[in-house]
Amino acid sequence: MIEVLSPGFLSIVVDRGRQGYGHIGVPSSRELDRHASAMARYLVGIPEDAPLIEIMGNDLRLRILEEMTFAITGARVKAVLDGEPLRPWSAVHAKKGGVLRVAEVLEGLRYYMAFSGVIDVEPVMGSSTTNLECTFGGFHGRPLMKGDRITLRDIREPVGLLTVPETMIPSMREPHLIRVISGPEADYFSPGSVRFLARRKETVLFKATSRLNRTGIRLEGEPLMFRDDAERSIISEGLLPGTIQVPPDGHPIIALAERTVGGYARLATVADADMDALAQIRPGDRVVLSSIDIAEAERLWRAGRDALSFYCKKQ
Amino acid sequence: MDIERFGEQGIRVILGQAIDDATHESVRRFFLYTSLLGIPGITEIIPSFRSCLICIDRERTCFEDLSELLKGMEDDWRGMSLPDVQRIEIPVRYGGDYGPDMDFVCSYSGLSPEEVVEIHSGAVYRVHALGFMPGFPYLGPLDRRIYVPRQETPVLKVPQGSVGIAQLQTGIYPFESPAGWRIIGRTMVRLFDHLHPPFSLLSFGDIVRFVPA
Repeated sequence: MIEVLSPGFLSIVVDRGRQGYGHIGVPSSRELDRHASAMARYLVGIPEDAPLIEIMGNDLRLRILEEMTFAITGARVKAVLDGEPLRPWSAVHAKKGGVLRVAEVLEGLRYYMAFSGVIDVEPVMGSSTTNLECTFGGFHGRPLMKGDRITLRDIREPVGLLTVPETMIPSMREPHLIRVISGPEADYFSPGSVRFLARRKETVLFKATSRLNRTGIRLEGEPLMFRDDAERSIISEGLLPGTIQVPPDGHPIIALAERTVGGYARLATVADADMDALAQIRPGDRVVLSSIDIAEAERLWRAGRDALSFYCKKQ
Repeated sequence: MDIERFGEQGIRVILGQAIDDATHESVRRFFLYTSLLGIPGITEIIPSFRSCLICIDRERTCFEDLSELLKGMEDDWRGMSLPDVQRIEIPVRYGGDYGPDMDFVCSYSGLSPEEVVEIHSGAVYRVHALGFMPGFPYLGPLDRRIYVPRQETPVLKVPQGSVGIAQLQTGIYPFESPAGWRIIGRTMVRLFDHLHPPFSLLSFGDIVRFVPA
């Protein structure tokens, strides 16, 4: 059992997402940084589909009420266990009654905590992840609050106390380079305004606004220009995580994991390999978009997947 | 039928250009056929006005294989018989605190609140898509006489059950949420229940009528 002494800014139970209900508008609500999540699970030896906690903000404090092992991955943080600094991206052993504190997030936005037991929550529609907007799933459909007690099942010691090597820890420093694939309505925009889609060497710079949450990231910069003869919206249609939509004001919105349908022109889609980087963009960060083709995006995705499975098998 | 790739994991199956009955029927046939078949590697099929978005698991299939498979099935799904649609009545309290944008709709359309209610509740609407939020139906077509533009800036919070109109559509917010549509009433009917299958009161293709309560 874990007791929440302070939940930070926002702590929720997440997993790999809800699947198969897109036709009734149910989004995935999945963990946003999948690499960090997979590593956290690996370090503590829990199954690939087990839930874990996604956290934003300083001053997370947890009391660990049973002896167990845990790991923190994702955003770079300054954390202490019973006053002793601990190493992120590593398995850490906690004694009964130990108090963990994350004092400060140094780089990135979201960090993940996994324990060497399975978080005991009731799955909803096949998943333990939290749909915050509709208040279902996860821990009673809501963020963790002070005083909550989280039960863990099947606590066991992982094989060893591993540390993820530096080469497997991505930088989360801004500016964030986000590679995209041209989208279905890319031709709604004046070619001069979206030159980066046609020419590989061009990039375009935006800034993440404070309108940033699990639903999407709104960018600001030089507004993108619609062609004079193009519609300013579309007949509503399906979206993928990472779809970049452009409302009539020309300021793009990157969809994350909480929408299945949209009505704005879909300029582009973020390459799957760069989806984890989106999870770590903070308000005010610079975001550089550049374009690649699907074949290149698939190569990047495959390389990332192979590196992860190679590392996890090797240990 | 046009098949286009969308991102790495999406396949758009486009079944018509306009919002009309023939297109809707093709989307419904394609959606029901492919859903019932349970094709390995497909993780989502999201039907909407004129297309289906298919999401794939790249560990199990690829765009090329799946688009070949879908092309080969066209005669089968075009020939299948369609099950009946559900017809559902939704009681609505119009205007006042339940419909804070009724005044705007009246001044924009030049109609009285009674006329707006009569027009809105006098038609039947089809569920052209479910999305934005779980169980939120995109219903149409809305009578041109009560056409209103969307809010320029979405309202931060509307209550669960709010009934809105925008352009030539009407819809119902299943949860308290931000809203870009003009709210003219509210229903107490629950549109989405995460505990009980099939979870959403409405399905793609259902016919909805609003009844003043």
